[in-house]
Amino acid sequence: MKRVVRFKLNGEYVEAEVEPNELLINLLRDKLHLTGTKYVCGIGECGACTVLIDGKPVLSCITLAVDVNGKEVVTVEGVSKDGLTPVQEALMEEGAIQCGYCLPGFVVMGEYLLKERMEVSEEELREALRGNLCRCTGYVNIVKAFKKAFEKRGLKS
Amino acid sequence: MTAWSFLGSKTLRKDSLAKVSGALKFTNDLEVPGMLIGRIFRSPYAFADVKRINKERAERLGAVVITPDDVPQKLYNPRLVSVHEVTFKDHQVLTKRPRFVGDPIAAVAASSEELAQRALELLEVEFENIRKPILDPFEAMSPDAPPIHERIMKGDKWVEVKNNVGAELTYSEGDVDEAFKKADVVIERFFKTGRRYHMQLEPKAVLCVPHTDGSITIYTTTQTIHNTRILVSQIFDLPESKVNVVKVPIGGSFGSSIQTNVIVPIAVALCLKARKPVKIALTREEDMYDHVGFSMHFRIKAGATKEGFLIGGEFENIIDIGAHQVQPYPLLGTSLGWFVSLYKWRNIRYVGRAVYTNKVPGCAIRGYGAPEVTWAVETIVDELAEELKIDPLEFRLRNYVGKGDIFWGQGPTVRSVIKSDGVPELLKEGSELIGWSSRGRPEDKKGRFRRGIGVGRGFHTSGAGGPISGEVIDYSGAVLKVNEDGSIDYITALQDHGGGTLDAHVKIIAEALGVPPELINVVWSDTSTTPYDVCTHASRGTYVGGAAALKAAEIVKQKIFEYAVRVLGRVVNPEALKIRYDRELKQAVIYVEGNPDLKITLKELATIAWQRNWGTIAAVVTHRATSAPPSFTVWFVEVEVDTYTGKVRPVRVVAGADIGTVINKDLAEGQLHGGFAMGWGMAVAEDTPYNPTTGELLCRGFITDYKIVTAQDMPKVEDFKVLFAETYEPTGPFGAKGLGEAASNPVAAAVANAIANAIGVRFYELPITPDKILKALKERGEWFE
Repeated sequence: MKRVVRFKLNGEYVEAEVEPNELLINLLRDKLHLTGTKYVCGIGECGACTVLIDGKPVLSCITLAVDVNGKEVVTVEGVSKDGLTPVQEALMEEGAIQCGYCLPGFVVMGEYLLKERMEVSEEELREALRGNLCRCTGYVNIVKAFKKAFEKRGLKS
Repeated sequence: MTAWSFLGSKTLRKDSLAKVSGALKFTNDLEVPGMLIGRIFRSPYAFADVKRINKERAERLGAVVITPDDVPQKLYNPRLVSVHEVTFKDHQVLTKRPRFVGDPIAAVAASSEELAQRALELLEVEFENIRKPILDPFEAMSPDAPPIHERIMKGDKWVEVKNNVGAELTYSEGDVDEAFKKADVVIERFFKTGRRYHMQLEPKAVLCVPHTDGSITIYTTTQTIHNTRILVSQIFDLPESKVNVVKVPIGGSFGSSIQTNVIVPIAVALCLKARKPVKIALTREEDMYDHVGFSMHFRIKAGATKEGFLIGGEFENIIDIGAHQVQPYPLLGTSLGWFVSLYKWRNIRYVGRAVYTNKVPGCAIRGYGAPEVTWAVETIVDELAEELKIDPLEFRLRNYVGKGDIFWGQGPTVRSVIKSDGVPELLKEGSELIGWSSRGRPEDKKGRFRRGIGVGRGFHTSGAGGPISGEVIDYSGAVLKVNEDGSIDYITALQDHGGGTLDAHVKIIAEALGVPPELINVVWSDTSTTPYDVCTHASRGTYVGGAAALKAAEIVKQKIFEYAVRVLGRVVNPEALKIRYDRELKQAVIYVEGNPDLKITLKELATIAWQRNWGTIAAVVTHRATSAPPSFTVWFVEVEVDTYTGKVRPVRVVAGADIGTVINKDLAEGQLHGGFAMGWGMAVAEDTPYNPTTGELLCRGFITDYKIVTAQDMPKVEDFKVLFAETYEPTGPFGAKGLGEAASNPVAAAVANAIANAIGVRFYELPITPDKILKALKERGEWFE
């Protein structure tokens, strides 16, 4: 039996009819046409489908759509609504972009880390990013970019 | 060093904003009105026959269903790279005799994914003759093994398959037996590599759209839009002009879409039957059951003199290709090519066999056998040097194939002469940076954590071009036009997998015409509007595709000069005209040296040409490279082995690369970073073992049990050094060579040699997992409770 979910998505109120077993990633991609959130593994292993729910990073491929009722969801499309985030800028500047399929996950994770973390060492940064898989970059320029973004915010890394 | 206007300068890649913002559409992100979603029925058995398919219940649900009886029966090879006569064909769109768990038998399409899945579950497929899977290539070659394929096609001819050997290649030069007799040291080793999975982030997808005139448009994950078009046209007997394949951004590939993916003809068949657009997007599990890399078994025997020169190399290569051929025949040639082009063996004997097993079909994976061959050869070379008490670096310098030598990395039919070579420079600088001379001997290393330094040296070709046309197809095309305001549209079929190939092309065009990169638009083109390009593979994107772009730019430049003469007056000799980027005007200026008054901007010229009806300045070219120069890479890796847990960690890395002129430094560095991550995974972690009874993947396609490198597994940023040799490749566009595969090829070799330097054990089977390390230490009497 279908359910109705009402939630705030990238700053706007939305309402959608979903199946009780429908996944958030399918609601976002197939019904709301927000295809920035990427399907890669479907089992919560790779981080490419990361979105923020009430400010916390969540894997949308293992989250039920009904769970976002009454909550605030931000996808990669939402984080850059008011211009590029420091992480997005730094990723572009540091040559961290290759195929780009994993990047939405990194960008959303970056938004969370920048808001939540005060200061991180490179080791802590790598630990925080270990759930975001990338096959192209070996993470070197991605980590460089994150460090740069932290520094831009006046945070040491 | 030449002062370039754009080459080597740092710019943001053109697709960067679309990528960081999530706006870029990959195949699975596309949708068209009325689109159906397709799902594939895959064999649950590794080796069986389909007795009966009942599709009534699925059709009653409203689904479009196709079975082997509904699709063309002809055999095909999904990869078109070899010439027709040596293309081995054994694939069918859908099969009645599944040969691996996952072999497509039927397919459905319905208005939603849910409905399609329900229809799939309503298909009744009955099997018979369920056989025990053959999972070992040596078992498959035994005389009493049942044939996985009885007959296949080689070009237009039927050939019988004997002992499950799908293709074979032998070669010899000189007298190896005599050489081994003369040698002071002879070493023989058996090697086995893992069967890796590409784990490209984007699972494969396809969207096929029908049109009223009987034509179709295909959007799909591919490294080659033209070969996809040709294959679909061949399978479905459609003229190529009725099949348009659109280039869509690809989410990494590493060889996984070097062929036309088998989901493409399935989607086409569904689309032609339904007369509606059909999209198929694979799940990750399906993707791993769609393709993996090849695993290889080598026997290598090598002889050297006490003076430190190699005099003989014997190489036996058994490739476990899985259930179908995705061009293992050229791999038999390149494997030999990697072997003979690494070192001067002087006498060579080779036999390579591509052997069928009931496993997921293997396809090319970054390096096309080079990482595997390089690991084995670099292991043996290290061992020979140790035996001869010669520094391994010195031994390499004495024997490697370098400048002036004949080179045929891409196999015996693709030969050229090496003209640029940064190996000595990279070995010297790299060894100093890593501290080679103080790496110590394993017997002196004690304690729980032991560090070791290893070297791995190798190369990859830049494409597969050559002075004569061999067994491999290799050429590219480009279309370039100057718009009415002097900006440029660049149209190419060549795919950029993410490495930044097309950004390199843009800089090459910018350099040739003095037009800034921001005024050059790369058109997302399709097969209908582009000349043929074979594929982005063999690290050919910059060297061959970039040369095609340059060739077009040179023609455009001459046409610009012809028009410029009309404006600047007949006093000007067209040969005296030059074009350069003007930093103040931020655009291209055509000028005559020493005559400051005789100049015009390209923008002004293009506008005049438009207003006076002179016509568009444009060029269409096709380019065949006459060589495939090696890009050399030299890796030094320091590892730390935890002798309690068997875990290995990379401590420091020095990556040296000779890629000629460096066009985009940060992107080139990125290739080396990623190349390390992939090579590290190959060395210590990645394999796809099977359930011996059922023939299923033990990980069942879930990446939970197929670990790739994470951010935590890499060395710190400051501990990863990258060096570029100061070389210039005279045959390359502005001196450039390829990089993508060279960036990874010798990594596993360097890691294995570093492990040997840390604990004094050599491993001949990849991946070198903790259990293997602990077992080896235990056998040596080292065991920590």
